[in-house]
Amino acid sequence: MNARSQIFELTVEGRQADEAVASIFHTVLFHRSLGKFTYSDEGSYSVGTVGYADVDCDFIDLTYVCCSSSSLERTIRKEINCFSEQLRGNEGSGMGQISLEFFQKKPSRWLFQPECIPWEVWTVRLELITLNNEGERQVCREKVGELLTDKIIYITEVMNRHEYLPKMPSQSELDLIFETGFPDVQPYLFKLNYSISGPSGGPSVGSTIKKIRETLAL
Amino acid sequence: MKLSNQEKKELDKFTKFLALKCTQIIVQSRLGDKISTHCRSQTTGTDWFNLNISDLPDVLAETKRVLNGEIISSNVPLCVEISLRTSEGDQMVLENWCLSMLAEQCDPTTRIVHTIYNRMGTLLKSLVSITRVVPAYKLSRRQGPDSFVICYRIFLGEPLIQCLGEDFSQVKIGQICTPIGTLNLSVSYRTKMTISPTQTGRQNSIMLKSDHFNAKLSPKNRKHNQNEDKTQSLGNTMKMGAFADMQKKKMESLFIIPNTPFSELFKEKPTAEKAAENMVELKNNENESQEKNGNSTTDNLTTKLNSLTMVSTNDDFIMVDLKTPFASTNEKSELGKFYREWQTAPPLQTFVDEMSPLDELDVTKQLETFESDLNEFDNVVQSLCQSAIN
Repeated sequence: MNARSQIFELTVEGRQADEAVASIFHTVLFHRSLGKFTYSDEGSYSVGTVGYADVDCDFIDLTYVCCSSSSLERTIRKEINCFSEQLRGNEGSGMGQISLEFFQKKPSRWLFQPECIPWEVWTVRLELITLNNEGERQVCREKVGELLTDKIIYITEVMNRHEYLPKMPSQSELDLIFETGFPDVQPYLFKLNYSISGPSGGPSVGSTIKKIRETLAL
Repeated sequence: MKLSNQEKKELDKFTKFLALKCTQIIVQSRLGDKISTHCRSQTTGTDWFNLNISDLPDVLAETKRVLNGEIISSNVPLCVEISLRTSEGDQMVLENWCLSMLAEQCDPTTRIVHTIYNRMGTLLKSLVSITRVVPAYKLSRRQGPDSFVICYRIFLGEPLIQCLGEDFSQVKIGQICTPIGTLNLSVSYRTKMTISPTQTGRQNSIMLKSDHFNAKLSPKNRKHNQNEDKTQSLGNTMKMGAFADMQKKKMESLFIIPNTPFSELFKEKPTAEKAAENMVELKNNENESQEKNGNSTTDNLTTKLNSLTMVSTNDDFIMVDLKTPFASTNEKSELGKFYREWQTAPPLQTFVDEMSPLDELDVTKQLETFESDLNEFDNVVQSLCQSAIN
């Protein structure tokens, strides 16, 4: 099965990187998170309620909405922070990409790790620029805000196409579809991948750093 | 395939709550505050669509009143109009959110009401996200009683997009196909944020006039606002309660109608003036018809003009002191007074508490006396030190 893929390209100042990525990923996760499932003895389940919170960006003229789950927020922030630190580090070319991948697992067979099948991938490609003065920063602050507004509107458009979503699982298979590690929300299983382009260019060059980490501790 | 009664009933209920939650999300996003609601593992009665959207009682009541027990039908969409009102009373429509139902496009295959319920949840999440990124959000966060406030109006009917100025934008938030029709949620918003005089002038002059009468009886008000609002304010077609402290306008007292209408008529005119007027009448019989048309004699006009202090910077405007039929005839005529009240802006709150220059003078004087008495102060300190040593 081919996963749906969306790619956003942005040019930002170094300090805007975290917020730019977070605003996109949190908007996606807000749409891709459900309330916690509670199963009853008879096999039926009830779905909890998702709360939401407004987040004002410090370096971008933008307010976005995320699920009000501090543990989800921490997980995302940590990952984005690792990416942004490497992106802004001296070795890199100031270019890199990070993606939020939703996947489902095939039940594991004896001795084998369960197979992960991605069904939707959101990628943000960043190019860093250096600004010389506060005037330029102010312009950039507004410009990036406008660009992200367009991206957020696009995300909602995709969400309301009502394309493929994994089927609601039975209780025993809940972990194959949903991330159940958070106490307050239940997003679809996801992981964050990122890569930084080396100084000489393309991502296939030896200095590419790639890190894949599942948010689920396996 | 026909819907069972039970399914139809459920769909209607979902659509009704979708409308109620939409208005809550839109209005709350324009309050000017950051919003944060909790996640809950157990859904409570008011948590529709698995989303924690708190209900403001005012907005809930207003939406229910507008819907009047109906669900959104194909002809009349539900609109939430967000507008800005400056402290000077200028008004500008910022955006119009519109939830409509197209009965022609229905999808009988989407049988499972559960799917529709989930899609409505997604649509509401998108609405939450989009309310934060359209231009009016930033304005609403900056609102205040001294600068401008954001108002809302909920109504059934076609959105008034012509109020949004040139080059307005439109965003389709989403649509849901159901067996009873396709639900559409969209927003049209203003992109040009300047208040031009042509936009406000004419409308305002009408509003001022209408304040002489009971606001509830004006036809303009009747069309849109049928609720029993007891508060008295200028042209209260907008509900303000939810957004900001209502700033009591001092000028209101000017427009309160006296208990007996036209009581001025029955007042005894000052006898001297009356006599003088009689004299004029006797002397200038040829001017009589002119007088009655409301034109004063030239002499009268010049003297009265002198007595009026004109605040207007508009040079080509000439204040003609008309003899208004029902106004008292004292020198500072009601019309002039009324006109001046509207010419001068009310004083800013900031300067009310500021010290007058007189007070500042006193302080400098005081400082001078302190400086001249410096020796005396030193002596006191020295004597205190000495007494301490002793």
